[in-house]
This record gives sequence, structure tokens and C-alpha cells, in this order.
Amino acid sequence: MESPQPLKPPSVADGVEHSLDSRSIDVNRISGAVFFGILLLIAFAGAVVAAIAASGPVWARLLLPFAAVPLLGVAFAWFVYRWPLVEHRHISYRLDEDGIAIRRGVFWRHAIDVPRNRVQHTDVSQGPVERNFGLGTLVIFTAGTEHARVTLGGLDHGVALRVRDHLLATGRDDAV
Amino acid sequence: MPSEQRLHPLSFLFGIGAHLRGFALPILVLLVTTGRSGLGWQIWFLWLAIPYAVVAVGRTLSYRYRYDEHELVIRTGFLFRNERHVPYARIQSVDGVQNIVHRLLDVVEVKVQTAGGKEPEAALSVLPLAAFEEMRRLVSARRPAAAPSDAAVPADATEATATTDRARILLALSPRELLLYGFVEGRGMVVIGAMLGVAWEFGFADPPIPWFVDRFVTDEDQPRKPGDGVFRFLARAIFKGGNDLLGNVVIGLATLFVFLIVVRLLSMAWAAVRLYGFTLTREGDDLRTAYGLLTRVEATIPLRRIQSLSLHEGPLHRLVGRVSARVDTAGSQPGQNAPPDRLWLAPLVAASELPALSRQVLPTLSLGDFVWQRVHPRAGRRITKALLILIGLAQLPLAVGVGWWGLLSLGILVPWASLHGRRSASAMAFAITDDLVAYRSGWLWRRTSIAPFARVQAVTLRESPFDRRHAMAGVSVDTAGASTDPRERIAIRYLVRSIAEQLHRQLAHEAARRTFRWR
Repeated sequence: MESPQPLKPPSVADGVEHSLDSRSIDVNRISGAVFFGILLLIAFAGAVVAAIAASGPVWARLLLPFAAVPLLGVAFAWFVYRWPLVEHRHISYRLDEDGIAIRRGVFWRHAIDVPRNRVQHTDVSQGPVERNFGLGTLVIFTAGTEHARVTLGGLDHGVALRVRDHLLATGRDDAV
Repeated sequence: MPSEQRLHPLSFLFGIGAHLRGFALPILVLLVTTGRSGLGWQIWFLWLAIPYAVVAVGRTLSYRYRYDEHELVIRTGFLFRNERHVPYARIQSVDGVQNIVHRLLDVVEVKVQTAGGKEPEAALSVLPLAAFEEMRRLVSARRPAAAPSDAAVPADATEATATTDRARILLALSPRELLLYGFVEGRGMVVIGAMLGVAWEFGFADPPIPWFVDRFVTDEDQPRKPGDGVFRFLARAIFKGGNDLLGNVVIGLATLFVFLIVVRLLSMAWAAVRLYGFTLTREGDDLRTAYGLLTRVEATIPLRRIQSLSLHEGPLHRLVGRVSARVDTAGSQPGQNAPPDRLWLAPLVAASELPALSRQVLPTLSLGDFVWQRVHPRAGRRITKALLILIGLAQLPLAVGVGWWGLLSLGILVPWASLHGRRSASAMAFAITDDLVAYRSGWLWRRTSIAPFARVQAVTLRESPFDRRHAMAGVSVDTAGASTDPRERIAIRYLVRSIAEQLHRQLAHEAARRTFRWR
């Protein structure tokens, strides 16, 4: 692991709402593209099988795999391109002396506040795409039931580490 | 090094028993089928049980435990050896369960629970009764004393520690109270279900089946005889206009009434057996519950581990002036049917004694002083509207299937939706005191959940698109060991948005100010 960066308290625990790193939009686009790409391939394979099995004029049978599926693909592509932008506008986090507050959700919105001294432990993880972009995901574990695991993806890896250090450095005795 | 101890010599019997339970149904089927067609090849399947028996005997013989200075050490296994160290400080409770066979042999199944995980840290099956008592004594004596600053530790905790040996009985349910409990809880259907299950397994249900089949399943040569059952008879009397309509209706209602009474009586018997001799005692920093006629359960609830308190009262509870109280802890409960992590504080307690009892758990709690704050004035209309949409969707197929007169039931459902919306919205309220948050809901079945700020793990503000339209929001509070049933959580909905935001901020801040301790 790299040497810890010098912790400047105003830089993380500033009590200001921060958006996620803008690179996270591209990360979400890539993972969305992979997901919907696989979905499209399956749909295409199904359409080809249906076209072979069906009876009727050839042009009508080719309509499904070569017109309907590409149309679906265009719709998916638009969604995959647009949605991460919308999502990014609706996610923010705020750190202060009390703890961390995470807001998210486009239609169904929620804001979770986890007090600093309720954090049991934290993880900073990186998927392959995230690593490529230098991003990381912060995972906060609490003793709770519904929010036993609170995740915040799309942070700059260095920022994620600093947020983690801030959450863990309570100095108070609250261990299990 | 302290000497090691072993399980009770007869433990392997229970070990085999536990494995055989999984085989009980196949074996029964075997016995039943072979009884009719002679011993067949099926009997060879019984050999499958033998490896399990060998494992059970091996486990029993290899199981050893000892009390070190700071930890309980458990060693198991011959080939694959395992040594587990459980520090006394981490042990939440030492619980015992005795079913009727255990009691005949004076042994007990012991579970040692710690905070982590859903499984008990150690399950000692089975120990002699004396060894169980010794384990309890040693563990509680070697556990370090509680931190006094904790909000959930009663003010007199330090005094109590000094007089650990003197146990105080907080609640003892008399047989009369148990019968009352059975009556108000109405768990008779559980008993009927269990009886049917037993009847099915032991083949008692076999004779009625051919009889039943003969009666109701039509053969080609035998014309069908509709309306032999009570309810069908009744339905026919109502819709077809039988010869003695009124008489039949009276008979039908009387049958229903008798059935309901039988269910209640069974429920009372069930409660009297299951919770026989329920006592709740305070021993130092622990609450202890003990109950059961056939299966005896002894469970410990360390006060420091209590995360929240929930109260429940149905219409019958109110009629007899009783409340039932449970606590959430971070451990789990011995006993089969009960949901994990939920422990009885009192299955039934007089409403007048509740404040004193709940102060044992949350010393600063005074239920009477709560200033309840209601939800948004339009909450009732929203609940009604949602219900009406549901009713409409459910009625649509009925209207198509049965014709427009199928919509007659709307005459009851629509007023009900309106009443339910209004009443349940006015029942919803939350309260905040200096160190805890409470939420109540439900108008027929009233639930109240109370959690100290020191136990709040996370606070969430929620808004659905519908909430935004009405400028409402919800606030929910997450605690350790909370129920999975959303009605038993502190999840406040339909709040005025500005109030919700303020509550969210306040709760998060109050929680952050207080240190959370497991112990």
C-alpha cells in the first residue's frame, strides 16, 4: 500500500456536499454497456432462433433480429449513455465531525447518515474498470440490520482512502 | 492448566437423535409402506443413517471444554481438530434448553452466544444440569463489569453488581395470566396446524382420506353430491334458497362460533404449556427468563445488549388492559419457532405495571411523558387512496368473472379503506426525549418501538415520488438486531417534509454524540 497522504482536515470533513468523481460516469457507462451488451446478444440469439423456426416471407422473418433488436440496442445505448449522468447529479456525500451522510436516488431518494463512532470497519475496494480509472468503492460496515453495509462507489481512490481514515480515526473507545 | 470437562456421557444419543430427526419422515414412510407390503428393499436405506451416528458418537467423545482465566476453550475433533477460544468478555449469554427427554435425564442443551454472527458461538449438547449452572456462574463472574456511562445501563447497575447473588423477580406469570395470554394472542391455529402435521406423519390421517375421497371425489357411475360440507351447505342455503334458510344460517354461524372458541381454547392450552411458569428475574446486569412445561428454556438477556424495546397490543389486549413487550438484542434466542434476536420481556403485563418494567430496560423511559407528534394531516387520505387502487385492481377480475354484482363487496371495502386510512394515520406518531426516540403505529394492533440514541446505527431520510408530490418524507432508524418486519421497526412515514428533515438531522447528531457499546 502507498504511504498515507498527509491528512488535511478541511479537505475531507468539510461539511460540504460533494458529488462523486466525474470519472465515475464513464465507469457506470462501461458497466452498463457490458450488462446491456450481454442482454442484447441473448436477445439477438433468441431472435435468430425464432427467425429460423418461424414460417413466412424471408424479409418478415429477418425483421425481428435485424430491425427490432437493433432498435432495442439504440434505446439501450441512449439509456446507458444518459442514465449515469442523471444518476451522478443525484448522488452526493458530506463528511463532518459527526460522520458521513450519503444522498442518492433519482425517483426514490434517500439520505443515510452514519455516525462516525458507529462504523465497525470499512473496506475500500476496486473493480477492474474502477482500477483503470483510478477510482475506488468505500464500504462502511455498521452493527445495524438494514444498513449493516453502506457502499459509496465512484470516489477517487485517494479520496476514498482519506474518507476511510477520517471515519476510523475517532480516537474514542467504541470497539466491540 | 484447569482440568478439561466433557459432555454428558449420554450426549451421543442426542447427537444421533438430532440427525435422525432429519430422517424421521422417510423412516415413517418406510415403516408405513413396509407395514402394508411386507419388508421390502426400502429397509436398506436405513443404512444411510449409520455414518451420521458414527459422526455423532465421535463428536460427543471428542468434545472437551475448559475454563481458562480469560476465556472458555472448546476442543473438538479426532481427525480434524479444532480449538476455539471464546473470551468471557465477549460472551453475551449462556442459555439452556431442556426438552422432555433432557429433563428426564437431568441434562441440558447449552448455547453460548456472543455478539457476532447468527449461530451460537458454542453449542454444548448436552451437559449435566450442575455443569450448566457452573458455567453460568463462572462466565458471569469472570466477565468484566459494565461501563457505567452507557445510556442503556440502569443507574443502579453498580449497586446491582455488588449484590449479584440477590436475584429480583420482576415478573412471574400465574397460570391465569398465561391462559389470558393464550386467549388474547389467539395462537390456536398453530396448535391445529401442529396436530394436523402430527396426524399426517403418524398416519392417523390415513383412514379419513379414503372416506373423504369417497365422499367428495366423483366416480363416473356415482353422481356428485354437492353441499355436504358445512360451509357449502351454508352457501347453498344462502344462494339457492334452501327449504329452511334461516335455520341453516343459524347452524352455520353457531358452527363458526364454536370453531372460534375451540381455537381460542387450544391457544390457551398452548400458552399454558409453552410459557408455563414464566419468570423474568434481574440478576446483576442481566435479565433472565425461564419458561416451559415440556421444553424448559432458560435465557439470559444482558441489559447492556438490549438495543430496543417494542410493545404490542391488540384489541383484546386493550380489553383486558394488558401489553406484551419484547426487546431486541444483538444475540439470538434458543427455542425453535421464535424469530431470532427477539426476546420476551413480558408476554403479557398489566398496562399499569409496564412503566416500572420498562424502566428496568431503559432507565430514563417514562412512557406517560412522551409528547407524541403526529404525521402529515393528509397521510390518511394517501393511505386510503393506495388502498382504493389496490381494491380496484383486485375487484377488476372479480367483476369480469362474476358479473357486475361482484362489485357489491365494494360497499364494504370502500368504507373500510376510508376508515382504515383515517384511523391508521392518526395512530402514527413519534416522540423524542433527551435520550431516546419512539414510534407508534397501528390502530387495531398497536405497536410501539423505542430505541435509545446510543443504539442508533444509522438514520435515513426517504422520499418517494409520491412523497414529493405531497411534500412529505419518511425517517427510519436502524438498530442492531432489529426485526425484519417493517412494522416493528422505527420507520416513520408520511411526515411533513420539514419536520422529517429536522428529525433526521437531530437523530443523526444525537447518535453521533453518544458512544455505542456492545457491552
